[in-house]
Order: sequence, then C-alpha cells, then structure tokens
Amino acid sequence: MLKSRLSGFIFQLIAFFLALGFVSLILVAVGASPFDAFKNMLNGSIGSMRKFAEVLVSFVPLLLVTAGLLITFSAGLWNIGVEGQIVLGAIGTTWVLRLFVDSSVHPAIVIILSIFGGMAAGALWAAFAGALKTFGGVNEIFGGLGLNFVSTALTLYLIFGPWKREGVASMSGTEPFPDVFALPQVPDLRISLWSLAIAGVAILIVYFILQGTYFGLKIKAVGKNIRAAYLLGIPTWQYSLYSFLICGALAGAAGALQVTAVYHRLIPAISSGYGYLGLMVAMLVNYQAIWAIPVALFFAALNIGSIQLPILMHLDSSLSGVLQGVLVLFVLLTEGVRQKFVKKV
Amino acid sequence: MITELLSTTVLIGILASGIRLATPYLYAAIGETFGQKSGVLNLGVEGQMLLGCFAAFYVALTTGNLWLGLLAAMIVGAAMGLAMAFVTVNLRAQQGISGIGFYLFGLGMSDLLFQRLMGTVETVKGFQRIYIPGLSDIPGIGEIFFNQNILVYGAYLLVPLAWFVLNKTTLGLKIRAVGENPDAADSLGVSVARVRYFTIILGGTLSGIAGASLSIALLNVFQQNMTSGLGFIAVALVYFGAWKPVGVLGGALLFSMVNSLQLWIQVLGIPVPSDIAVMMPYVLTILVLVATVSRVRAPSALTKPFERDD
Repeated sequence: MLKSRLSGFIFQLIAFFLALGFVSLILVAVGASPFDAFKNMLNGSIGSMRKFAEVLVSFVPLLLVTAGLLITFSAGLWNIGVEGQIVLGAIGTTWVLRLFVDSSVHPAIVIILSIFGGMAAGALWAAFAGALKTFGGVNEIFGGLGLNFVSTALTLYLIFGPWKREGVASMSGTEPFPDVFALPQVPDLRISLWSLAIAGVAILIVYFILQGTYFGLKIKAVGKNIRAAYLLGIPTWQYSLYSFLICGALAGAAGALQVTAVYHRLIPAISSGYGYLGLMVAMLVNYQAIWAIPVALFFAALNIGSIQLPILMHLDSSLSGVLQGVLVLFVLLTEGVRQKFVKKV
Repeated sequence: MITELLSTTVLIGILASGIRLATPYLYAAIGETFGQKSGVLNLGVEGQMLLGCFAAFYVALTTGNLWLGLLAAMIVGAAMGLAMAFVTVNLRAQQGISGIGFYLFGLGMSDLLFQRLMGTVETVKGFQRIYIPGLSDIPGIGEIFFNQNILVYGAYLLVPLAWFVLNKTTLGLKIRAVGENPDAADSLGVSVARVRYFTIILGGTLSGIAGASLSIALLNVFQQNMTSGLGFIAVALVYFGAWKPVGVLGGALLFSMVNSLQLWIQVLGIPVPSDIAVMMPYVLTILVLVATVSRVRAPSALTKPFERDD
C-alpha cells in the first residue's frame, strides 16, 4: 500500500516535469523563452505579498469546489454541473443581499444569511442533477451540461432583466453592493481571511467525512460498486443524492464568496471556469482530500502568475490553461503507464 | 413592430441564417455521435474546435487558400483525436477528465497561438455562397436552402451519410457493438481498440471542421474563445438527439433557428427585451432536456474503458 502510494507520487512528479518540458517545447516553438515565462509566472504569483494574496483569492473558490467534487467523485458521480452550482450560489447570495440591502438588519447577519442562501441555491441546483440521474435516468454529465447552460441563461436574464442597473443593463453586472455587505478584507490586500477560513474548514470537513465516518464509508461503497453497496442494504440513490447536495452546497459557497468577498455584485462570468478546474484538481489528488490544498494552491498560483505575461513578454495569460491541461494529460499518461507496470510485476 | 418579424423577407432571412448557424453544431455533434456510439464520451470537443478554428483561420490568412485552412483544421482535430484515443483506449483514463484536459489545452493553446502569431483580430474572405442554377432561383426556398457555402452543404450531407454508416454498414455495426457490449464484440473478433481509435479520430476531424466552419465560412474572423461553449452544446445535442444523426439534426436546427430568431430580433431593433432574446436558446435547452428525459438510453458501454478479461 505504502509502496504503491510512493510509486504513485514518483509518477506524478515525473508527469509534472514532463508537462513542464512539453510546455517549454511549445514556448520555444512559438519563439518565447520558457525560462523567462516560468520565472515571470513565479514572480507574478509569489513575488510579493500582494500577489500572493491574489493567489489566495483564486485559491478559495477552487478549494471549495474541489472539496465538494471529492464527495461526488467518491460516490462515483461526474458532477459536471458544478459550474452551474457555483453560479446558482452566486445568484442565491445576491438575492438574499438584495432582500436586506435597505433593511436595518445588521450587515454581519445579512452576510451570513446570504452565504447560507448561496449554499442552499447551489445544493438545490445539484439536487436537480441528482434527481434527473436517480429518477430520470439521465446521465449526470448530460444533465449537468444542460443545467450549466440554464444557469448561464438565468444569470444573463437577471443581470439584463429584473436586477439590471439603474438606467442601463450591461455585461459588467448588477449594481455593486455597499461596502458594509462585503466580507472584511486584510488591509491593503484583496483577500478576506473569513473566506480563506471557510474554504479551509470545508476541506477539513470533507477529509473527515471521507476518512473517519460511516457516512463517508457508505458514499465510497456506492462509488466503488453500486450494486454491492445496494445488496449490502445501503439505499444507494439516497447516498448519491446526499453527495450531490453536499457538493452543490460547497460549490454554492464558492459562488457566494465570489459575490461577498471578491466582486461584490453578480457578474456574467461569475464561475470563471472554477468548476472545470476543480474537476481537474480532484482528479489529480486521486480523492486524497488533504492533497487538494497544495494542488489547488498551485493551480491558483498558475492562474495569477500568468496574468502579467501579456505585458511582460507578449505571451497570453492562457499559458496557465495550457500548463494545467497538459499537466492533467501527463498525469493520466503516467498513471496509465504505472498501472501497466504494476500489473506486470 | 412585431409585424416586421413576419414579413416574408425577414422570415426567409431568419430561416436561412438558422440553416447556416446549425453548421458547426452538426459537424461537432455528428462526430461526437460516432464516439459515443462506440462508448467514448469526448468532452474535449470544445478544445478541438477552438484549435481547428485557429488553424483554419491562420493557414487561410497566411496562404490565402481556404482549402488548405480546412485541411489544417482537420489535421489538428485528428491529431487531438489521436491523443485522446491513446489516453482513453490504451491508458484507459477516465474519459471525463481527459476530455476536460483537452478542452483546457485547446482553449489555452488557441489563445496563446493567436497572441503570438497574430496579435490582433483580422478577417479573411471565407468560403462564398454557391449559386446552384435552378435551385437557387426558387423563390424563398432557394434563398433559404440553396444559397449557402460549401461547408453548410457538407454539414447537411453528413447527416444521411452518418446515418448510413452507423446503420447500414459493417463498420457501423461494429461501432454499435463496441459501444453496447465490448466484451461480446471482442469475442467475435472485433478490435475494440481499433474501432474506438477510428471513431475518436473521426470525431476530432469533424470537430476541427466545425471550428473551421466558424472561422473561415460563417464569421470569417478568429477571436479568443470564439466557440464560447458551442462544443459543450454539441456534446449535449448528441444526448438530445438520442444518439441518432437525425435526432442530432433536429436538435441542432431547433437550437440554431431560435438563435437566429434572437439575432434578427436584435438586428431589427424590435423592442422585445434583450434579456429575453438572449435567453431564448437556453430556455429551449431546458425544454428539450425535460422532453427527452428517460425517453432514451445511452450506449451501455459509454464512458467505460474496455479491458479484456484474461
């Protein structure tokens, strides 16, 4: 067991360097210096406190989404609808904030309520995908894709319709909320320690659920062999649904924090692709919740580190996406090779 | 105001552009149908399309030859398909994950290449409309169906062709067998790996063409992330179309007709609230989703890697 984990780690390390090598080749091919590119990305992400705070801003939603996806992955479910669940979280939060924005309720209570509102909305959206899967027999990948489009539509509708800015509706989003409804931030930095704490607690809870509870064991049983789990008396459809609900609530929290801690309003691209990135991270850490922390941090650092690339060296910030995609593919590659290798021995 | 929409010219315009707009969906979704029929879910369509989109545009721009551009898109798509096939067939990777990996790669790579090789948005003179003597002159019908460019015609020809291959040929039988029961197919001597390689590479090639149809036939520009979710809609259309080419055609037409209507409403400046117009294609997605629930059954081996029991 230990040996297989060690070999797994070594192969992931190999995959990492292969990915770096492959991306370097691409960079050389397009006439850019890989060394400069990586150096700039490193500088851009951990070069200063301010930059690192930006990395953490990107880390929070990614970690929350990954935490949720670890649960659905453990239950053997492909919750591709997670993008939409983030969006609904943001919508739910915005809705609650709008309800109370002119009231005399203490802002702290409003913020807390709004985050719960976001989590509830995310869970509801996940429940749709779960219900389509368990009662309608709709594969969760297709149901999720459909619901993702719907959530995009809903956001656009709200931004251009009922929630539009006084006067003009625009792609810049809804009217920003007053500052009192924002989660307090560290002075001079954009990161809120509250959101960081929420994400940290979430991943710990997920770790605990999966490692130390009977509930987690049942979810994993459903994921490993749904028929065997059913024969053992686990109500499998209920556990599938539970895992959807947990994942939806966590994705909803990610959306909620995007509103209360980052954008302070609803914008069209509120999910920013964190759902797909979360799927990558959850897969890379191979269901080990604790590893999600460093890997999500690394992915967030890539995102932020590449922002300056267009200015510094006329490269596109999408280099981070290339690196992330290539990394995942090389991990799949080395994992496949390892499986063959292990089998032969 | 609403009456403007009902004038014959506008109606013909809406239908003609609806027919045109369905083109990329058709190529991508028919390609995806082949993959899924053989048991492989390719979620990387969007990435394949984006790279195809860029390759076609860049080659057409630099060589001035649209056909070379199309060829480049096909090669890029096929190469992405080949890589996808290797990862899913040989390495038996989770298909959802590898697909999203290819999506991220294609998305980032097309942006990166655009930034390095072009930098600014340019335009090309794309495939022009083909005048078919006789047919194009039929009032109305001619304008709607027979005044389109070559890639549009190709997309519609692809539908019966795909139906024929899937249902009336040995190859189609093998594809379906591999998607429904790979073990049985394998024991009858059908190479599961070869069939899946074929369908995934074919799917990639068609996704490449889908991308090309955007950049050198319909819009004639390249912009970053210009497919904006179109590839994912294509994946969903396969489901809506119940894994049948004709069903995919229906879904693609419905989607693009509504989209066309929406665009025309905005062009004409009709005071239908723009939010409702923008939402229309998506609302339609919900309705179709609800309508198709539990009506269809996916290929049994979809998303399942094949491993021979020794």
